[in-house]
Amino acid sequence: MGKNLRLKSARAAKDMSQKDVANAVGVTRQTINAIENGDYNPTVNLCIAICKALDKTLNDIFWEDDVNE
Amino acid sequence: MNKKGLDEMQLQRKYRIGNSCFMLLLYLLLLDTGLYGFGFRWVGYPANIMIILTLCCGIYVVRLIAGGAYVGPYAKYEKPVLRTVLMVLCSVCAAGLIIVFFKNAGFSNPDQVNDMSAPILLISSITALIIAAVTGVIIRKQNKGEGE
Repeated sequence: MGKNLRLKSARAAKDMSQKDVANAVGVTRQTINAIENGDYNPTVNLCIAICKALDKTLNDIFWEDDVNE
Repeated sequence: MNKKGLDEMQLQRKYRIGNSCFMLLLYLLLLDTGLYGFGFRWVGYPANIMIILTLCCGIYVVRLIAGGAYVGPYAKYEKPVLRTVLMVLCSVCAAGLIIVFFKNAGFSNPDQVNDMSAPILLISSITALIIAAVTGVIIRKQNKGEGE
């Protein structure tokens, strides 16, 4: 599993730190860090919560295709 | 999201660590039994089980803390100095009471006194101190990497 750079850029675009996102979705900073680094595969519920916190859709951040890999 | 307890990644880690520690416990107990079967006894009966259990529990706790799966995201960062001091005082009082009780109780048969209880207590407290020291180091290390 590769790094999720789209999550990182979406977070940076909203000027939020990993801690801010973690607090918004109710997980630890380490969990967000692991998702960004591709070390952890989040559940759909957590993906949705992250997308809501960053005002993005699941496609924007988590969908993997030939373009977004 | 869950406002209490661990988040999903922490839970996953906790289960994985728990499974591996349980397997470690099983292997160590089997090894101990095997050694006993071959006639080799490294420590007397109650102490060997206690040592193996304490070791596995210690490894479990240290790995949980090292993996950041011991406290949840909403745990408050507090320094319970007063609570620690009170607990130490209570422990000392309880230990004193137990010593007084056992001295006064008297044993009808001296064989009832288990000689292994003292080493077990000593080993348990030393292990607990080592675990506390290791977790302190881990927490300090983790907090250093907190700033992003």
